[in-house]
Amino acid sequence: MLRVENLGHRYAGATADALHDVSLDVERGRVLGLLGPNGAGKTTLISHLAGTLALQRGRILVDGEPLAHARQRQPTQIAVAPQDYAFYGALSVAENLACFAAACRLDGAVRQARIDACIDFAQLARCAAVRADRLSGGLKRRLNLAIALLAQPQLLVLDEPTAGVDPQSRAFILEAIARLARAGAAVIYTSHYMEEIEAIADRVLILDQGRSICEGPLPELLAAEGNVLRLSAPGLDETLLSRHGTVEPPDRAGAWTLHLAAGSTPAGVLSDLEVRGLCVAQIAYGRRDLEQLFMALTHHSLRDGS
Amino acid sequence: MLAALIRKELLVLGRDVHGLLALFLLPVIFIVVMSLALRNYYSPPLDNLRYAIDSRDAGAPAAYLAGQWQQTHGAALTLPDDWQAQLHQGRLAYVIVLDARLSDELQALTLPTTALVHLLAEPGIDGHLLNALRAELTGIAGEFKARMAMLDAGAPPPPPQASVTALVDAQRVATSGVRPTAVQQSVPAWLVFGMFFIVTSLANLLLQERTHGTLARLRSLGVPSHTLLLAKALPYFGVNLLQVLLMLGVGLWLIPALGGDALSLAGVHWPALACAIGAISAAAVGLSLLLASLVRTAAQAATVGPALNVLMAAVGGIMVPTFVMPDFMQKLARLSPMNWALEALLGVLLRGGGVAQLVPQLVPLLMLALVTGSAAAWLFRRRA
Repeated sequence: MLRVENLGHRYAGATADALHDVSLDVERGRVLGLLGPNGAGKTTLISHLAGTLALQRGRILVDGEPLAHARQRQPTQIAVAPQDYAFYGALSVAENLACFAAACRLDGAVRQARIDACIDFAQLARCAAVRADRLSGGLKRRLNLAIALLAQPQLLVLDEPTAGVDPQSRAFILEAIARLARAGAAVIYTSHYMEEIEAIADRVLILDQGRSICEGPLPELLAAEGNVLRLSAPGLDETLLSRHGTVEPPDRAGAWTLHLAAGSTPAGVLSDLEVRGLCVAQIAYGRRDLEQLFMALTHHSLRDGS
Repeated sequence: MLAALIRKELLVLGRDVHGLLALFLLPVIFIVVMSLALRNYYSPPLDNLRYAIDSRDAGAPAAYLAGQWQQTHGAALTLPDDWQAQLHQGRLAYVIVLDARLSDELQALTLPTTALVHLLAEPGIDGHLLNALRAELTGIAGEFKARMAMLDAGAPPPPPQASVTALVDAQRVATSGVRPTAVQQSVPAWLVFGMFFIVTSLANLLLQERTHGTLARLRSLGVPSHTLLLAKALPYFGVNLLQVLLMLGVGLWLIPALGGDALSLAGVHWPALACAIGAISAAAVGLSLLLASLVRTAAQAATVGPALNVLMAAVGGIMVPTFVMPDFMQKLARLSPMNWALEALLGVLLRGGGVAQLVPQLVPLLMLALVTGSAAAWLFRRRA
């Protein structure tokens, strides 16, 4: 549905590219997780898709058609729910939806039907008459999403749609996005929260300093290269593990990563630890999370600024 | 789409209480206060000034002069012992001191060379008023001398209505016959000020849209720049029109209810008034759009527009009428768009002019609207 080829962008006066040679594919019914620390280029990429940045280098194709042509022909086929609450605080939920529905060129009965559908989808019926600036953070995020859905876009770009919301609202939003994908929309989802990406994304693109450092189906990316054991245990240290392979420093949760040497097995490691009186609290074999993947690729945390 | 965006703009503006107060209440307050405060300036009531006469001459001519004066200005107060101190403090507006030799001078068939009638006024008295009082005293004295000369020449006694003052007729000429008053000047002035004050509201709302991303969102939905700009401009034409109706209403009904003079619309050339208001609104909206497109922060939005407004108002004759300014300031006033706007409205409301008479003001106003509106459209396309 969406193909980005070798996209590059440099802002006026900047000494480095905000985006350099970035490529991605998003199919209908799929969710692409877009990850990267602050300044990685996510917003620049989203701005291109939103049509607010002019193309400098590369190509962006929507069903084979250049994005600019596609936007001119049907501007609402791509919808962006920005990270900021891009609606009018002084207007009610219903008034905001009415305004943006008109901007989407929806008229008459169709307009009202779409407004009602979006209110229903985002479960905003009870606060339809409430001023937007008086909503809770979670409801504001839902309104932001509902506005993006008014024209039933074929490609939906969500920029950190769960930032600052309570767990209940987060769960609602994630489930809603999954439903949208199942209904056939292509979704690009950006977040700092790896667990969200892991929960709903089919593919992942990781950006760092404007470059794509990793792209592909999520399960494949998270699959370990060779035998990798992750475990945590009180009293565990590098000395004990290094006998069985190469050891990576513990992550924030205190879990060690061990690349098993030839001849070493997970059972052998566990036996050895048991003999030494250590009680393993957590163990995972053959899989790592996005944070570890990112650390392995860039040697810094996903949440650190670049 | 345009209708929905205009509706959005009006809803947001209507819920901006501070913005509404600045746009509507502030000019009303200025009109009321300035109309009432300047009422005596434009129509000075000569008969309610506190004054006394220190007559050091017991003769009939001196008594005649004092009597004539009191007929016009009301009875004089008894001269207090501390009249000089009261003058200094402003508790007495003026004291007329009649020299002991006055009667002899008035009866003499010569022209005087020495002041024998002293008009002593309190320090803050308006210069024009002082001159008017002096001229009137001179007139009374001159009248007496003329009668003495006629008597001496054996001329028959003049009829009762005959007087030297009957020789000169003075009036403010206006085709509508409207007497200019403080309200006739204040309403146009503060209406113009209020109309240009839309810059603060417009700039704030546009800046919010830019920073919150709603403008970018609308652009990403393919809403054309000219539609966005029109949706910003048209509501403020409506605001200006409401301001006009409100301020005229204040002049017609509120100020008289508070004891001031009523605004008169008698003889107003309505097409000319419509043209003037349209041109002023176009200039105000154009300038406001340009400033709104330029500001990048809330601090700038809150200061640049109001500062420019106050500057244009001060230079342009809104706060202080141009006719009291020195010559070079009057020339400087002609550079202020608010002066063009004010002169256009005065041309209609005060001078009863038609459209042709307003051309010298309408043309620069419309040119300003065209230039600033075009610049705003270009900037908006670049930065939105």
